[in-house]
Amino acid sequence: MTTAIRAKGAAKTNVDKFLTLLRVLLIGAISVGLLAFIAQQIDPGNAFAKWTHDGQEANRLTGEQFKGLIVSGLSQGAMYGLIALGYSMVYGVLGFINFAHGEVFMVGAFTGFIMSNKFDEAGLWEGGAFIPTVLFTVLIATLIATGLAVLMERVAYRPLRGSPRLIPLITSIGVSFFIQNAVILLFGAGAKSYPPNPDWLQDDWILGIEGVKIVVIIVAAISMAGLWYFVERTKTGKAMRAVAEDKEIASLMGINVNRTIVTTFAVGGAMAGIGGMLWGLLFRSVIATTGFLPGIKAFTAAVVGGVGNLGGAMAGGVALGGAESLAPLTLLEPLGISGVSQLRDAVSFVLLILVLLIKPTGLFGERLSSDDRA
Amino acid sequence: MSDTNTDTRTPLLEFRNINTHYGAVHILKDVNLAIYPGEMVSLLGGNASGKSTTLKTLLGMVTPTSGEVVLDGEVVNDKPTSYRVERGVTMVPENRRLFKRLSVKENLELGAYLRNDKAEIANDLERIYTMFPRVKERLNQKSGTLSGGEQQMVAMGRALMAKPRVLLMDEPSMGLAPALVQTNFELIQQIHEEGIAIFMVEQNANMALSLADRGWVLQTGRVVLDDTAENLLANPELQKSYLGGA
Amino acid sequence: MKKLFSILSVLLAFTLVAAACGSDATDVVDAGTDAVEDAVDGDDDAMEDDAMEDGEHLGDGSLGVVTVEAGDEIQIRSLEAISGDVAFLGLPNQRGTQQAVEDYGQIHGFDVTSGTGLDDLCSADGGQAAAQTIVADEQVIGVIGTSCSGAATAAAPLISEAGMVMISASNTSPALTSDQQGNAGENYNEGYYRTAHNDLFQGAAMAEFVFNDLGLTTAAAIHDGDPYTEGLASAFTNSFEELGGTVTGFTAVAKEDTDMTPVLTEIAAGSPEALFFPIFQPAGDFIADQAPGVSGLENTMLLAADGLLVDGYLELEASEGMHFSGPDTRFGENKNQSTGVSANEFLATYEENNGQAPEAPFWGHAYDATALLLDAIDAASWLDGDNLMIDRAGVREFLNGVRGYEGIIGTINCDDFGDCGSQKITIIQHLDSGDIEGSKANVVFEYAP
Repeated sequence: MTTAIRAKGAAKTNVDKFLTLLRVLLIGAISVGLLAFIAQQIDPGNAFAKWTHDGQEANRLTGEQFKGLIVSGLSQGAMYGLIALGYSMVYGVLGFINFAHGEVFMVGAFTGFIMSNKFDEAGLWEGGAFIPTVLFTVLIATLIATGLAVLMERVAYRPLRGSPRLIPLITSIGVSFFIQNAVILLFGAGAKSYPPNPDWLQDDWILGIEGVKIVVIIVAAISMAGLWYFVERTKTGKAMRAVAEDKEIASLMGINVNRTIVTTFAVGGAMAGIGGMLWGLLFRSVIATTGFLPGIKAFTAAVVGGVGNLGGAMAGGVALGGAESLAPLTLLEPLGISGVSQLRDAVSFVLLILVLLIKPTGLFGERLSSDDRA
Repeated sequence: MSDTNTDTRTPLLEFRNINTHYGAVHILKDVNLAIYPGEMVSLLGGNASGKSTTLKTLLGMVTPTSGEVVLDGEVVNDKPTSYRVERGVTMVPENRRLFKRLSVKENLELGAYLRNDKAEIANDLERIYTMFPRVKERLNQKSGTLSGGEQQMVAMGRALMAKPRVLLMDEPSMGLAPALVQTNFELIQQIHEEGIAIFMVEQNANMALSLADRGWVLQTGRVVLDDTAENLLANPELQKSYLGGA
Repeated sequence: MKKLFSILSVLLAFTLVAAACGSDATDVVDAGTDAVEDAVDGDDDAMEDDAMEDGEHLGDGSLGVVTVEAGDEIQIRSLEAISGDVAFLGLPNQRGTQQAVEDYGQIHGFDVTSGTGLDDLCSADGGQAAAQTIVADEQVIGVIGTSCSGAATAAAPLISEAGMVMISASNTSPALTSDQQGNAGENYNEGYYRTAHNDLFQGAAMAEFVFNDLGLTTAAAIHDGDPYTEGLASAFTNSFEELGGTVTGFTAVAKEDTDMTPVLTEIAAGSPEALFFPIFQPAGDFIADQAPGVSGLENTMLLAADGLLVDGYLELEASEGMHFSGPDTRFGENKNQSTGVSANEFLATYEENNGQAPEAPFWGHAYDATALLLDAIDAASWLDGDNLMIDRAGVREFLNGVRGYEGIIGTINCDDFGDCGSQKITIIQHLDSGDIEGSKANVVFEYAP
């Protein structure tokens, strides 16, 4: 934020020039890639496409394939968004990034794995009892994730309240490793499979989109709407926002600040728990390190959307999921880069850098409460 | 220094030999205060004399190292802020400290956070709208976008929503345009006339004492003067050091 | 604070980009081996006279002679992937080695020990670290391992430098031996041998099956950046093109990927009739699961290799209908000529000791590799008073000359670059996730060079 102010006022420093160059280069590369993609969609044999593909014609994407990419990006992004909410809320209230939040998501997915397999053995997973069973499983997974998040706050973060915020941040990395290894100790290091979903969930519902992906997107949207209502419309939600902005005055209003912080962790944990369960239904496999990469991606999503802004977290998640899904094939492949799918993580972090370069507060970011307090 | 007031009623809020420390620094030293229902009192003092600490200690945001904070005859040293707020002690903080990202209405509603009487709350809201018609026009605006004078109104409204019996005011005229200072004191007068006790910490000592019944002067954490407002206004020493010789 | 946070985020982002772009470093640090070399040389001078006196053993003493004092054990080592995702592959190898040591018995009256099983972590780093531990002990004659080709590329140079030998039961990367045209692979080291097949044959087998048997002319391949998967995927595409087929795509996934839609769409854009993904779990699970849902791949044949030919994968419904290439494990009545133990006898002991059947198919390769090493030690050693002397060069001399050795896996012949395997490849079609053994026996194609 300070750099933005300085850039407008004072003369440009070399750093500013470098950043400007970086912005121009990144945007330039994206434009060239996109133009090349459009060109090869229109004519796979155009001169540029032949040049980048060693004299071969490029491959054109069909509409079906394009749709597949979008839907997969959306469902993946919806999960990033659900996890990102927890990062964003805790940052808003306590001003630090809880890196162990990805593990809450993983524990949600693991709980789903254990329960779904137990129900499958009892014959309740497939067939008519699927919906009530899955709802019950979601409920338990959410409760356990919520409990874990609350426990984390009580044991690891509350004793550090008031210390410089780098300290809880580093603690959260430790908590993350602890939970990962505890899960390895309890359940082993190998990948664990969910039982197969009923056929109707795997079938195409509308527009040739797999049912399970529609479910993921809808459940994520409902959860997000519920959270929005909770934060914006209920008394507890208002208290939460008041605590995020000014803890001292919030307590002057009679708000119990500690309890509100616990509520924040609980709600973030619940979102991650739901996300974990959706992950299980979509990919049907979970491993002790499942939380790591989605956690980092969700953190990225929270930053892209503007940390502390809930709508931004969700939008950032969807933007990131979409970019990961689409960018390798629409921006990189037309430039003749091989093995583009391996570069998807690079794509998402370049996106993060780009957003921070252009709008340091994120897409929907605003001045943060910490600026007022300091 | 003992209480010179001869009033036999129970004080609403009272300090008995209060000492506070911030780390190793001794802030308040054997302070005795008493605020009675419905009166208006003023606390004067220079920078770093311990005025803000006095307010925070009254509210339980600072815990005294010795002495007693007494509310309605009950020692409340170990009771949280919310306990005191529920029993009618409220503050309009220095610089107003509104929740800037929340709307004006939400700020007012948070003032009534501990109350559950919905109908009464709605009533009080209406009362505040009549008191401050400008606030009503800005209800759904984020409070951070309001002017200083409007913010002062919201801050007072927010405090009133807690249904206080005593209102602690920390430098109410600080940061206000001179033209607004007078209006502001009239508002305080108006609130006082509704029977709410006012405990005002103010740099503008002349103005404060002209409204108040009594006053204390705090110097480096010690109460050095404790008298009626008229006497204080007439005190030549005080005139010299705080009242600018006016 | 906000500024600090931004800087932190950007730093983090850059780090992750760097991590995502960079491939596994395979630099091998030579530190530590010099000391060992010196020590071996020292032995060499002291023992040379004895070696000259005895004509009953192989070797010219050029790599040093190891003295095993009376009452001590002959030291060999097991270096396999015994933890993490690939423990299913390494554990049966380790147990195969242990059983072979037990069945073989004494050499010239000396017991043999394989020590505490070492872990190659299925990575170059793991292989290197473990190899450094091994070469630091100058009593060690040879190593059975590694499980993963990636670990071998880092471990083999160290083992070779120290004058030891290394026989792998499951490395299959062509780079570790040769291109089968007489040229050493880029990671070949003297003293490296393997009883596993060379993936050039596995790739060729899959290509012939797809092109000749299935009659498909377009195919694509996916690897995960690991030397084994990349080597096998390119062996397949090269053979397929030689046969006259068209390769429509060759790409890679990251091992941690879960959403395969983008990579599968990239493949689908070329409309291949067959897709070969010789990778591991869990990435392989997601490909099999998601491929039918990607437009353009609904009818594509899915093919995988021995890395996915494991029970955990065959149990998935999504893997039904797939074809898998792998070593021919129909061992029948084959017996290891050194111990006289047959495949069935081995399996009975294995289940008795471990409570389950081996999860991966290279246990027989590990057993034969160990028996070969012990035969080599036998041939290169002699008694000197109460001590046993072992000539390191003699061990290599014996292994270089192995021809027509009968093992559990069939007839073993070592070529000039350490490829000793029977090179028999079979392709099975997986029909029923409820009957894994039935599927494993459902051989639809056989290949022998």
